[in-house]
Amino acid sequence: MAEEVTSVDDFDQIDFLRDRHIRFFQRCLQVLPERYSSYETSRLTIVFFALSGLDVLDALDAVDKPSLVEWIYSLQVVPTEDESNLWRCGFRGSSHIGVPYNTSTGPGSPHPYDSGHVAMTYTGLACLIILGDDLSRVNKKACLAGLKSLQLEDGSFYAVPEGSENDMRFVYCAACVCYMLDDWSGIDCKKAVDYIRRSMSYDSGIGQGAGLESHGGSTFCAIATLCLMGKLEEMFSERELNRIRRWCILRQQDGFHGRPNKPVDTCYSFWVGATLELLDVFQYTNFEKNRNYILSTQDSLVGGFAKWPDSHPDPLHTYFGICGLSLMGEAGLRRVHPALNVSDRALQCLQQLHQTWREGCT
Amino acid sequence: QIDDFNLMWDSPDRKEWADLEPVPQDDGPNPVVKIAYSERFRDVYDYFRALLKHDEKSERALALTAEAIELNAANYTVWHYRRVLLQALEKDLRVEMKYITAIIEDQPKNYQVWHHRRMVVEWLSDPSEELQFTAEILSQDAKNYHAWQHRQWVIQEYKLWAGELEYVEELLEEDVRNNSAWNQRHFVISRTTTYSPPEVLEREVQYTIRQIKKAPHNESAWNYLKGILQPTGLSSYAGLLEQVEGLQGSCCSPYLLGFLVDYYEEALETNGGKYNLTETLNKALGLCDLLAQDQDTIRREYWRYVARTLQSQYDSGETSPPLTEQQ
Repeated sequence: MAEEVTSVDDFDQIDFLRDRHIRFFQRCLQVLPERYSSYETSRLTIVFFALSGLDVLDALDAVDKPSLVEWIYSLQVVPTEDESNLWRCGFRGSSHIGVPYNTSTGPGSPHPYDSGHVAMTYTGLACLIILGDDLSRVNKKACLAGLKSLQLEDGSFYAVPEGSENDMRFVYCAACVCYMLDDWSGIDCKKAVDYIRRSMSYDSGIGQGAGLESHGGSTFCAIATLCLMGKLEEMFSERELNRIRRWCILRQQDGFHGRPNKPVDTCYSFWVGATLELLDVFQYTNFEKNRNYILSTQDSLVGGFAKWPDSHPDPLHTYFGICGLSLMGEAGLRRVHPALNVSDRALQCLQQLHQTWREGCT
Repeated sequence: QIDDFNLMWDSPDRKEWADLEPVPQDDGPNPVVKIAYSERFRDVYDYFRALLKHDEKSERALALTAEAIELNAANYTVWHYRRVLLQALEKDLRVEMKYITAIIEDQPKNYQVWHHRRMVVEWLSDPSEELQFTAEILSQDAKNYHAWQHRQWVIQEYKLWAGELEYVEELLEEDVRNNSAWNQRHFVISRTTTYSPPEVLEREVQYTIRQIKKAPHNESAWNYLKGILQPTGLSSYAGLLEQVEGLQGSCCSPYLLGFLVDYYEEALETNGGKYNLTETLNKALGLCDLLAQDQDTIRREYWRYVARTLQSQYDSGETSPPLTEQQ
């Protein structure tokens, strides 16, 4: 299929360049130049963007699944002989600490600074599921123990046990881990839900924490968390839900922005779009304007998407641009589960896995 | 500023590092998302990993963390290790404050640097520079979420509420559409005087209406107005409807119309007997229609959905039905 290089002004005629994006993600999975050094500790999230992106593009067949599965398992922080590091278990973002490559399920060798990161545990598990792995080598007890040690009194989560900032992002990551492991014992749900409630702003959007400005990203994290817990309707009255719907739907300018009076950015087509979908009103947004905006940020040379037109594409905006299109039923894309942020196909694998786990319990 | 803290990283076979065996990264046989580091970058981190493994607490380790940070300020492990060293070596935290100030100026959207600053402020129990510092960062980017988050933490933790409302007002003078500033306004008032005293509520309502007159198409101001009145009820504020309806001529916007829809919906819900239900419902539906057809067409389907929802909830059968076949 010939790929045209169209003028950026012809918004209505821009094609979705599927093959370019597939190649973009494939390149991401190989080598990145040094200017991406800030990604080092979160390389696993980049793998997630690429794999989940390829999954949505229905192009996972070209990927070396067994190798990837091994690499991901090498990032698991496993309990030591005496299990004294249980509170630090989970997945690492990369090999940056210098622990020797080891895919075994343990016991691990002690290292004073080796611990998991909640976003890496989340994306690590998601990647394994996308790759068709059965999670049998995941030390679930250790992951959940690691999660527990990250939750604060106010219900929010740190990213790492050594301490870090705490906000709605990590609440969402923790919820995804519990959902995928089908085990909510790693979270005090009551406290988490209370944190969410206290993070609601006077304008009915949700901020990163109490008192903070409402934001499309944190609103997604909060609503998606509640949906994963199955507590959305328990937490918010219909009136409150209507107010949240209103806040979210006002984010559409052509594409979406994350806060009132801020510029639009491709990734919010997912953060806000998915939230609206979870609230059953995404259907009432303007698909044409949204689609045209996302495609205006497409890089026709290199593939991928950027936050704005004529800007450099990156894995995050490429992934969320594609997911934003998927929400609108773009041809050739798999549907994305708006709360868990994986393809419907991957979700089915997960559900089957849960079935076998539950059947195994007698 | 940052160069003051640099040690030029010399070749690794210098005597100072000869005792340490560098530790390379190990991604196994099939590395993924491999970053192509220059030799210098890799050297710094190979030695950093060695120090980490031995948990070495020394001046050379501290110096190396500065090098590592310069290469990648997003590496949270390096920052954590640096904090361990600062405490173990009992370093002068005032010097550290100068250091972190320079780094944040250079990379104000990095999470780790702000967390580090917060830790140092906590250790020193000294928030005295924080309002000025965050104001400086906000003068470059008035909506930097990290800066606002840090500022709110300082104010709340150390009770530095004095002068904040004035600061917010300055920012709104500069840009009445700064949603972060409106949020901060609510943050301050709700946690000091609160909106309960009638004189506070009155002052805030009038302030907001003045700002709306200056810039009618400003979602932030309308969100604020609605947000401060909703807890007690939009219909409980005397003369509000008249004031807002009065703005319709010169200051019409989708936000004004949306405000009126919400006003009428609240009236329908509370139904204090003051209102003619049918008339109120029809007004609300008329506004939804105006928004869908003319004033907020991007959300046409949404406003139709709002109308349908209102209709099914409040239609007592007396309103004119849509032109469909008879039941």
